[in-house]
Amino acid sequence: MRFSHASKAVALSAALALTLSACGGGSSETPEGSGDAQAGDTSYIVSANTTEPQNGLLPANTNEVGGGRVMDLIFTGLVSYTADGKTQNELAESIETTDSQNYTIKIKSGQTFSDGSPVTAASFVDAWNFGAAAKNAQLNAYFFESIKGYDKVSAEKATEDKMEGLKVVDDTTFTVELSQPESDFPLRLGYTAFMPLPEAAFEDPKAFGEKPVGNGPYTLAEWNHDVNLKLDVNESYDGPRKAQNGGIDFKVYQSTDSAYQDLISGNLDVLDQVPPSQLASYQSDLGDRSVNSPYAGNATITIPGYLDHFKQGEEGNLRRAAISQAIDRQLIIDKVYQGGKVIAKDFTAPVIDGYSDSIPGSEVLTFNAEAAKKAWADADAISKWDADAELSIGYNVDGAGNKEYVEAVVNQLKNNLGINAVAKPYSSFKELREQVTERKMTGGFRTGWQADYPSLYNFLGALYGTGAGSNDGDYSNKEFDAKLKEGLAATDPAAGAEIFNQAQEILMKDLPAIPLWYQAVQGGWSENVSNVEFGWNGVPLYNEITGK
Amino acid sequence: MLSFTLKRIAQLIPVFIGATLLVYFLVFATPGDPIAALSGGKPMTPATEAALRAQYNLDQPFWIQYGLYLKNLVTFDLGMSFSGQPVADLLGRAFPVTARLAILALLIEGVFGIIFGVIAGMRKGKFFDSTILVASLIVIAVPTFVLGFVLQFVIGVKLEWAKPTVSGAATWSELILPAMVLGLVSLAYVIRLTRTSVIENKSADYVRTATAKGLSRNRVVRVHVLRNSLIPVVTFLGADLGSLMGGAIVTEGIFNVPGVGNLLYRAILKGETPTVVAVVGVLVIVFVLANLIVDMLYALLDPRIRYA
Repeated sequence: MRFSHASKAVALSAALALTLSACGGGSSETPEGSGDAQAGDTSYIVSANTTEPQNGLLPANTNEVGGGRVMDLIFTGLVSYTADGKTQNELAESIETTDSQNYTIKIKSGQTFSDGSPVTAASFVDAWNFGAAAKNAQLNAYFFESIKGYDKVSAEKATEDKMEGLKVVDDTTFTVELSQPESDFPLRLGYTAFMPLPEAAFEDPKAFGEKPVGNGPYTLAEWNHDVNLKLDVNESYDGPRKAQNGGIDFKVYQSTDSAYQDLISGNLDVLDQVPPSQLASYQSDLGDRSVNSPYAGNATITIPGYLDHFKQGEEGNLRRAAISQAIDRQLIIDKVYQGGKVIAKDFTAPVIDGYSDSIPGSEVLTFNAEAAKKAWADADAISKWDADAELSIGYNVDGAGNKEYVEAVVNQLKNNLGINAVAKPYSSFKELREQVTERKMTGGFRTGWQADYPSLYNFLGALYGTGAGSNDGDYSNKEFDAKLKEGLAATDPAAGAEIFNQAQEILMKDLPAIPLWYQAVQGGWSENVSNVEFGWNGVPLYNEITGK
Repeated sequence: MLSFTLKRIAQLIPVFIGATLLVYFLVFATPGDPIAALSGGKPMTPATEAALRAQYNLDQPFWIQYGLYLKNLVTFDLGMSFSGQPVADLLGRAFPVTARLAILALLIEGVFGIIFGVIAGMRKGKFFDSTILVASLIVIAVPTFVLGFVLQFVIGVKLEWAKPTVSGAATWSELILPAMVLGLVSLAYVIRLTRTSVIENKSADYVRTATAKGLSRNRVVRVHVLRNSLIPVVTFLGADLGSLMGGAIVTEGIFNVPGVGNLLYRAILKGETPTVVAVVGVLVIVFVLANLIVDMLYALLDPRIRYA
């Protein structure tokens, strides 16, 4: 969804207040579920942790996990994602294309929003136009940039608010024309930004964001700010994600520490993030009620190409390769994360279709102190690195766990390269991001990515494409850009993935960012629930959870 | 007394304006771009960015920002948070909770602090006195978050006497445990202050006179010793109310209390000026009023103090 603030997965800038509501936790007052016990109690109301959504609940304005997890339950788009990151049709009857540029999308007929209004082709087209239009200032507006006509509606002070690439054919059919072929476009359609909206939403979007009316497996019954969000089952939902429980009570926690105490005392059913302080003990506390599974996110260090000695080219590449090889990733994972991460072997993440752990050149991501020293010396032969010069790695102190791993990395650089490396703290995420976006960094800094949708391109395009929105290191390589374009133009995602991995070979040489490890979610659940599974993005599949 | 009170309340105005200006400037001057943080490091279209900057006046120089803030303040418009909610709503939710927490903590430290302090003072050097002195020293030495986590774990998780965290309603009974943690350190100070003060007054002439007159020991302690010993304690308690309200961040975090401390903390991290200024503004008012009440209590406690 966004850069992680904390090194740990989904920690967001805002953690909010409060919690436990009367009907939470252990108080399932419902009678035994009729029928077999195996299926569990499908009327049990599951309590789960969350953070306060940062904005009103509008699809194109929700870009963080607190709001995202709720949106994904109260809305459903054309497709949704299974636990292992595959797409499955939800409202889409078919998504057809012959050239990866022009798509014809048919939706199932007879679908309704929870207020009874019909879900039609226009529900999608209007919602997407709303999300892209400049005047609505939606945070996810850039998600529509592939659609033809986006430039005109998204420009500052644009008066036009309809993208020419979107056309309603009839009630259940619409066409999408992209400005260039993009084979992974269908994969994106399960992301929050692409959800449909009922007509009522456009009359007063702000009020709608407080009381959204969706078409997903749940409806939002109550939203007590900073306290909880209560979700009821949407009986009219008829799709693959049907609720197996009686509702979800999301409790807003200021810290995962207090959520953990509630979990082990049976006052909370599902926790999707074990606090750093409990990583060493949660598996013994919870036993088989805990999980440690990788999800589509990674942690990296970016050493921007605008720094002296690190410019793109032979010297800079050698130095970045030296730094990469000087980091003993497994040691840090074991010491700082109690083994709760997986060494990175590429720039994406293993749960993504097309992922490869053996991309040519990926040995540069393996710890090798000798090779590191040699690469650094080779770079010195081109232009001498002043022995007293400082190489800093920046991090924000308001994210839990950042300090520990950045300092560990810095120590290894000191020991293995013999350079004066320092960890440079920034007081807040906003301060670090300001320096990064204004290109004022004087050293490297921590970065990372969590996939919005399960696709290799999502990890590569926005981060390393020339001039891309999150290309913090100003990386630019024509060959790489060409490969990206070629991969997008491929007729099917599988063929595209192969080309994207060829593009990664180029990244292995240039190292616009130095991959450290893949993220993993450490979660747990109470004795009151069963069938808890975590999805490809580290978010539990709430709809599948049942009572015991 | 009335004119004194009015004068003091009038003082609120310059204090309030000065405090908001200072706080507004401090948040303005902290490094970092709130809008960059809002996007979470993801791309943001220039149009969205410009619209957001304009919405929160972040594209204006400091004096205009502050001027616009004051202008809205006159109409009781406290501005909007970055999440699009009126700051007044945020305050309306968080302050009652924190007020309950602070009042409970104040009661705990006031009642138990004075009782223990008087007993310790009257039995100076005896077993009870030494025990209380050592115990209070330990409490002062242990950081609040350690106390908080230990109490939460023992009482909330192991013994299950209370839930480890507070519910959304944050009722009085749920807040007792957090209030104990919050008030414990001040409780130790109150005990020590009362004890010292009692020891000093115990040997005062008027106490000897009272005893010589044949008054009961109970009455001597209550009316002559205690009442005269309360002035430093009341001063401390008054000042403490403000600290309890504004400084409960740690306790609120541990027990997940949806109060002012965390509201302020998060707003500072986000650079959400209107929220920070509003919270601090209300805290300033609380401080000033608490001090006013303390000053009026002086007159009640010591008849020699008069306000013209």
